[in-house]
Amino acid sequence: MQSANVLLKKIVRCSVLPFATQHGMKKNLFPLSRTLSLSLCLKQDNSCNPSEKLDLDGWKKVMKSGLKEVSETVSERKELSTLAAAREILEMWRLAGRSVPENISEEQLKIFMECPSKSAKKKYLKYLHLKELYKKNDKRKMDEKRERRLETASKTDETRRNSFVCLWANCMDRAYSWRVAQSMIFGQPLVFDMSYEKDMSIREVANTVRQIVLSESCNRRSVDPFHIHFCNFKDDSLYHKEFIKHYREAWGKLLITVTDQCYTDVFPKDKLIYLTADSPKVMKTFDHDKIYIVGSMVDRSIKTGVSLAQAKRLGLETAALPLEKYLLWNTGAKNLTLDQMMHILLTLKDTGDWKKALEFVPKRKYCGFVSKPVHELKKTLNLINTLKLGKRQEEVRKQFPKNYSKRLIQK
Amino acid sequence: VQPPEKPLQAEEWNRLRESFQSPEIFEEVMFNSMVRCNSPIDVAKSLLTHVAKSNGDIAYNLLVKYLALCVKQGQTSEIRDVYDIMKIRFRILESGAYNLLIRGLSNSDQWRMALTLLEEVKKIMIPSRTNYESCIKAASRHQEMNLAFELYHEMLAKDLVPTLDVLQAFFDFSRGMKGAELQKELFGILLYLRDNQIYPHKTFMRSIKLWFESIPGGNWRGHLTSIKDSGQCPVCNHQLEDSDLTEEEYNNLRERIIRDVIHGTDTFRKTSPQEFEAFQTFVENRFPFDIVIDGLNVSHIKPRKMQCENLFDAVNCLAKENARLLVLGRKHMLVNSSNWKREIMKEMQNKADFFFAENISEDDAFLLYATLRSGKHCKFVTRDFLRDHKACLSDSLTRHLFRKWQRGHQISKKMFLSLFIQQPALCYDCVVQTTGDTWHIPYKDTFEEKYSYRVPRKWLCIQQK
Repeated sequence: MQSANVLLKKIVRCSVLPFATQHGMKKNLFPLSRTLSLSLCLKQDNSCNPSEKLDLDGWKKVMKSGLKEVSETVSERKELSTLAAAREILEMWRLAGRSVPENISEEQLKIFMECPSKSAKKKYLKYLHLKELYKKNDKRKMDEKRERRLETASKTDETRRNSFVCLWANCMDRAYSWRVAQSMIFGQPLVFDMSYEKDMSIREVANTVRQIVLSESCNRRSVDPFHIHFCNFKDDSLYHKEFIKHYREAWGKLLITVTDQCYTDVFPKDKLIYLTADSPKVMKTFDHDKIYIVGSMVDRSIKTGVSLAQAKRLGLETAALPLEKYLLWNTGAKNLTLDQMMHILLTLKDTGDWKKALEFVPKRKYCGFVSKPVHELKKTLNLINTLKLGKRQEEVRKQFPKNYSKRLIQK
Repeated sequence: VQPPEKPLQAEEWNRLRESFQSPEIFEEVMFNSMVRCNSPIDVAKSLLTHVAKSNGDIAYNLLVKYLALCVKQGQTSEIRDVYDIMKIRFRILESGAYNLLIRGLSNSDQWRMALTLLEEVKKIMIPSRTNYESCIKAASRHQEMNLAFELYHEMLAKDLVPTLDVLQAFFDFSRGMKGAELQKELFGILLYLRDNQIYPHKTFMRSIKLWFESIPGGNWRGHLTSIKDSGQCPVCNHQLEDSDLTEEEYNNLRERIIRDVIHGTDTFRKTSPQEFEAFQTFVENRFPFDIVIDGLNVSHIKPRKMQCENLFDAVNCLAKENARLLVLGRKHMLVNSSNWKREIMKEMQNKADFFFAENISEDDAFLLYATLRSGKHCKFVTRDFLRDHKACLSDSLTRHLFRKWQRGHQISKKMFLSLFIQQPALCYDCVVQTTGDTWHIPYKDTFEEKYSYRVPRKWLCIQQK
């Protein structure tokens, strides 16, 4: 039964192959495709009976047989360009089971070759691999959804009569635009400082733009939007290119102010406040008369003091969010993403409620919300620990600073 | 899964596979556990045969795993066979397979084959340092020292860092061999250790000692010793090199500190141009100082004491010998507060010069500048390891200079019964050094020394009679 199976498989494979070559598939594309013609080993299969004695080196015969043809095609191939060679190495890595994308474009391949070190290459490949996986999964889900929709649609075709539903999205868009247009005349400005391109890698710039796109959309949907300014924005910069990638033709129609001027030229200096996590000053309340500046920068490598330096150079007031005052910080850097900043600022503007606003800080970064001042909280925490643990109070006190900022304890 | 102990028939493999929870990856998982358990090679072969017969092909990753098993057990002929199969089957191989092949073959009598494989690797990528390591070891094991050194230099030219193992192999296998050229090469390795401030571990040190003593007609004698605080070797009474930098190195380091640490990509990140200029004129007017103190760092030495008292103690202790002191601090120290009493600050300012930086500026950078500006005799006091500043320096050579200078000029203090015990900066330089007829080599006791800032106290003294 089993040998019949094997036979069947082989026959199928043999018949597929000539078909593939006929249709002009390049051999280069799959150098590992199983182009073995297996007529030879078929004979061997029959000659030695597997049940009698185990032929341990049988696999070598199978691997070597029929390979003569392949080896001929190998020698026929000429020297490949470096790009093609890199592609081939990638293919081998994929076969060896490393995280390598299945398909890679010419452009990505070039970036791959320009990576300065082996680990950089590995990281880039892993990134592409994951991206590919996500894309595949998304596509699969989309397909499933479509199928499901088709099924339900065929069942409930006659129930859809209400044409009002179709206009809903369009209407909302118009209402949002109306509000943003109003805010462009009467609203409070919010500045994105676009002068950090030189401090970022290409991927970081792409991430930054993505975050700004998200913030813009949540600003548009809010009840009372900001008037967004992109300052220090150079045409044909990387930022610009990335924005066009995201918005396409909508880029020209966005209801925001884009300028290559610095914010100090657009607004009076004494009204500007630069928001940066490095600032020694902590923001107490949201001021509706001030103009807040957010640095458009993603720094994965935590370059401290870059935006603080910018504010110092221009002599601007700075502020940091009162994260430590309101949240029991757990892990992670205190710099937040731009869309989180936007959510927080919008909530502050509407309600002035820190608790509500700081809901947008990722949950993994903090343990809980503090309503009392920190030193009181520390006292109660100590009290609880003394009651609970008795003598070990000293130890607990020593461990406390690990989870909490030293600066606050000293106060 | 537990791999079977004996080769199995196809049906038996099939049965095992069916019982496995995810049959698609059965072979892979099985091979992994075979490598882990170091199963007999025949078992692996029987599985390969089974796979080959049912699929008509064996996937690349399985071949690599089988290869790993062969290399682990030193099955040279099998390695050759697998290589031949891979070679016809695939146009190129990837680094994992090459690593295994080179490692496997270099340990066998077919080690020359590993060299040709290394050439093959070079065509498609830069070989890893372990590739070179295997080849170099194989060559020196067969007394082909010239070839080994050729590979070694090639490796250095490619910016690969050789492992201590490779370097040790050179000494081990040249024992008792004659030749001026060889001797020069091995001295070259010792100088490589010196240039990169690498300390050999105990067994490596022993190899070096044995090699020296085995040089025919060399009359070298090695002794283990520890150097006196004065920098004198108790065995040969030789005075070790002092830790001072040369004039050129010193100026170089100072310029690099200003450029990379203080200014960096943006002067505003650590200070501001105005402040730095003010500081520069301050130093120009009052230098040279003898000791520069990081005020804030010292003030935290005893956490139960008031911060200004800590600083006061330190200043008093250091001011005794008429030394010119500079204390660096921040402006907030001048504001009367529970930790910083104005009267005490006033009193201190009579005994030492003070410079107060802005509260958001970094005072460490100023500390480095003031010390370097004052000259070679000037020392500085801080418990900080200054690693972040070292990291700002852009090339490794300057970083080594920085570490050397730091070793010689940093005074770190330990509190001991309310007395300041000074940990003196080392006055001699802790690197491999030679005068021609003597060698002094510092070594580590264990292979893995935990702290990179700690310098070894044990030395190998080698002298020619």
